Amino acid sequence: MDDDEAIGRSLAGDLTAYEALVTRYSALAHRTAALLGAGDEAEDVVQEAFVKAFRHLSSFRRDAPFRPWLLRIVANETHNLNRSRGRRSELTARLGVTAEVAAPDDPAGTAVATDRRARLLEAVRRLPERERQVLVCRYFLQLSEAETAQVLDWPLGTVKSSTHRGLARLREGVGDELA
Amino acid sequence: MSSHESFDDLEAQLLDLGASLDVPAPPPADVAAAVRARLAAEPTPDTASEPASQTPPSETPPSETPPSETPPEAVPESAPEVVRKRRPARRARRRRWTVVVAVVLAVVAVTAATPQGRAAVTAILRYAGIELRLGGTPTPVITPTTLPGERDVEPGRLGSLVTFPVRTPAALGPPAAATVGDNGRVASMFWPGGIRLDQFDGTMEPFFFKRLGPPYPQDVPLGATTAWWIGGSHPLGYIEREDGTPVPLRQAAPTLIWQSGPVGYRLEGAGTKERAAEIAASLR
Repeated sequence: MDDDEAIGRSLAGDLTAYEALVTRYSALAHRTAALLGAGDEAEDVVQEAFVKAFRHLSSFRRDAPFRPWLLRIVANETHNLNRSRGRRSELTARLGVTAEVAAPDDPAGTAVATDRRARLLEAVRRLPERERQVLVCRYFLQLSEAETAQVLDWPLGTVKSSTHRGLARLREGVGDELA
Repeated sequence: MSSHESFDDLEAQLLDLGASLDVPAPPPADVAAAVRARLAAEPTPDTASEPASQTPPSETPPSETPPSETPPEAVPESAPEVVRKRRPARRARRRRWTVVVAVVLAVVAVTAATPQGRAAVTAILRYAGIELRLGGTPTPVITPTTLPGERDVEPGRLGSLVTFPVRTPAALGPPAAATVGDNGRVASMFWPGGIRLDQFDGTMEPFFFKRLGPPYPQDVPLGATTAWWIGGSHPLGYIEREDGTPVPLRQAAPTLIWQSGPVGYRLEGAGTKERAAEIAASLR
């Protein structure tokens, strides 16, 4: 069952079809919510986003891809959460264990790589919110520029310019350390 | 410019960093089941009621312009019980308690006197982190759901996983199992025979809601305070932190609810009111 078929059946009220869709996008939705700043409330955000997506499924344009449409709802829910909390969104992700086991036969090299990643993560964390968000979408979620524009609801030009500014700021900030 | 790297290197490093980030997520099947349970509990999406627009549902841009006031959709539930904004404000418990007692009496009086009391929720009582929605004939919850993020933990570790003091009823002894739900906001203990004790921060806005038709809650003296006994099987739900969305959980057995200090308690499955009060009084 591809996305379009699942959506068609969901629109007809088939909850099993929608369950399949949720299962398919659950991990990506959690990743998006967490990295855009939902913190430890990502699970709540994601569940809410899926419920809202179902309710609004009739407004989804069937010839468009489902993924960015869904992620925009997730991003929006995350934004609403932070606004209701009166807080700035923050990147709270941790380096995973994969960072440690990247080169098991080269502990020293692994430690260096881990350290470099940690410093880069910290630099991304300190970026202005918009630049951080666009870099999260482009590189951490690996969305295209067009998808990023849709998910963040920004004009494409803003995505391009913010990406450029964010990368430039990272180069300035950690360039020496990363070299 | 102090860097000696090209943008391509930096982009590659960002991709590498992104791939190494650890983002915990529950099993997708669990998420799907929870979403389904919520959808099954509400009306199906009425495609006729919304003009099919070509835009995504969210009107609020994540940034840049001032966001519009409402999220994409308020919750169009059948009863008026859920359309209330939740704020993190704490309130004076003593004062609320007084109000609760008064409202309980009023509701019992009103519903006893009028048949239309059956039609809809007539009052909302909030106490010890629980919202009681009184009135009407609540629809039973068909598909049981666990608390958001509920997971099994070692009973002995329960106290270290939540932010409030966890107590154990001496009358029951150590629990056979324990769970933590909703990011450490709820601690639950289980004993054989279907007995369940939930402990949660009772000073917060409600976590649980219960829909109750008659019989209405009875007060039960418990030390210096008063507990409430809900004598019938009733729908139990959970209120989401963000916007107060109700999540139906399951049909709950008769339950005693009370508050002690900042912690709210609900004891389910103890059987009788007397036995429940005895267990509640033995919390250590």
